[in-house]
Amino acid sequence: MPMDVVDYEIFGDDMQYVEIELDPGEAAIGEAGAMMMMQDGIAMDTVFGDGSAQQGGVFGKLLGAGKRLVTGESLFTTVFHNEANTRRRVAFAAPYPGKILPVHLRDVGGTLICQKDSFLCAARGVSLGIAFQRRLGVGLFGGEGFIMQRLDGDGLVFVHAGGTLMARDLAPGERLRVDTGCIVALQQNVDYDIQYVGKLKSALFSGEGLFFATLTGPGRVWLQSLPFSRMANRIIASAPAAGGRSRGEGSLLGGLGGLLDGDNA
Amino acid sequence: MTQAPIEARLFGGGAPATGEDARLTLASGYLEVQSAGGRQRVPLTQVRIREVVSAHRGIEFSWDSRHGQCAVQVFDPPELRRVRTHPQLAELPQMSRLRASQRRGRIAWTLGWSLLATIVLLPLLLLLLLIWQADRIAGAIAERIPVAREQQLGRHVFAGMRSKLALKESGEDLQLVRELGARLSRGSRFQYEFHVAANPAINAFALPGGIIVVHTGLIDATRRPEELAGVLAHEIQHVEQRHSVEALLRQLGLRGIWAVASGDPGGTLAGNAALELMSRRFSREAETEADARGFDLLVREGIDPHGMVDFFGTLAAASGPAMPAWMSTHPASEARKAALQAKLGSLAQRQFAPLAPSIGIEVSAGSSPAR
Repeated sequence: MPMDVVDYEIFGDDMQYVEIELDPGEAAIGEAGAMMMMQDGIAMDTVFGDGSAQQGGVFGKLLGAGKRLVTGESLFTTVFHNEANTRRRVAFAAPYPGKILPVHLRDVGGTLICQKDSFLCAARGVSLGIAFQRRLGVGLFGGEGFIMQRLDGDGLVFVHAGGTLMARDLAPGERLRVDTGCIVALQQNVDYDIQYVGKLKSALFSGEGLFFATLTGPGRVWLQSLPFSRMANRIIASAPAAGGRSRGEGSLLGGLGGLLDGDNA
Repeated sequence: MTQAPIEARLFGGGAPATGEDARLTLASGYLEVQSAGGRQRVPLTQVRIREVVSAHRGIEFSWDSRHGQCAVQVFDPPELRRVRTHPQLAELPQMSRLRASQRRGRIAWTLGWSLLATIVLLPLLLLLLLIWQADRIAGAIAERIPVAREQQLGRHVFAGMRSKLALKESGEDLQLVRELGARLSRGSRFQYEFHVAANPAINAFALPGGIIVVHTGLIDATRRPEELAGVLAHEIQHVEQRHSVEALLRQLGLRGIWAVASGDPGGTLAGNAALELMSRRFSREAETEADARGFDLLVREGIDPHGMVDFFGTLAAASGPAMPAWMSTHPASEARKAALQAKLGSLAQRQFAPLAPSIGIEVSAGSSPAR
């Protein structure tokens, strides 16, 4: 399957969007709901499954769609096809603050493993699959890390990370311990295991959880500084409407101060 | 013998951080790696081998070079198979250590997942056990309910239905039933009451605590007092075995289990149907038990059990085609008759004196069965 070669441009600093330029006849696939704008001449088509041509027959399509359901995504993918006879642009926006990470699959050996629902868009021909971590420890304690998404092909893919993005190259044998939620993507060469924090005291009071993910090189890994779930937790915890406690600037007056500050919903 | 090179990916040394495609060959004690960056030859004795596990399982060969640690990894399944079956690699001690650790890993994996599956399935298994043993559990609880309480319950139910039953206050039928009943229930911990209801249907039933009601239709259908004695023995055994209380407890228990398991205390149509079918199965078991014990009771009292067996023939003829056994509350009359006939065979020609009730009449002798 020949991959479509696309040009792209990323705009914004911490709330980014990526604009993809499609030659006539070229196409890109996007996560449902990620499209921000498209120029005249781009036709949108919703396909069952991931839209890559490897899936033959109805059964293959069903299987592809089922896998997407497991990773918590929509059963359908949207294909954006340039039917004009000039170059046209389509833009995809990140759903929460963070960075968009462009990866050329050819550079990473044809396969990228990424956190589920971090996929944003890709050149047509990239196939979206599911990757179960093979270690039991990861399955039991890996949290978000157990079921991941695999992107196969040799085109460009765009993955979204929360907060600040960090790319790190691990030398053979080099080891990095990370919070399981902070992994955005990794090469399939990187060994992924789970390690108990070791001390009961830190397990209980450090607030880091009971387990780390251990990534062993060689290979490149991408980490996010702010997993969305972490941010969402903080927002909910301090949102009075959702049962949280207001922890604003607060004054000595306490609740009375709240009456005076004019910030009453 | 030369083998085709194995497709792999090279890291470290001069290779890019994300690796580069490489081809592996093994020749006379050396590992040869050919990549865009050049060609390397490493003695096999210096090569470390380990398994890499992420979303896939791969094998990594690593060694120390002048430019630091280098590694080649094989992930493609067909290429991995070639590594595992490679004759020169198979002899290496590193490879046998790897195989041993993989085996340990597989065992731990299987154990871990089975443990997890057990933990997840345990509540379900417990529920199934409860349903499967509902009979025994209900029986054990029923034994703890005092007889007086059961009689109270029976009397309460009987008071409610009494007005609709058209009970006979006197008559030979009633006398006969009372006489036979008293004989069959001698020495019981229950206080029995026997009633006759004017009703043409061939039926008799027992309420908890020892109230037994026989329809006149049934009495008319019997040809000998022994047949009526068989029916009474059956109903008395329902009381003695406390089948009604057990059924009540079981019904409550199963309904509770269903409510917990389905989260639906009201009971859906499907749930009610399933419960009903299940309770019918227990009901059939209770009937079979009452038949067998009733039979033994007759033999103990010296009453000819042929009468009981014959009466099932009458029942079968009167009731017409039967419902499928699994849907019915009672086993098919033919099956009941056959089961009792097997017991008759074991009596070895014992002789019974004919029943001579004190009321000097031949009960319904010669009268045709109702219907």
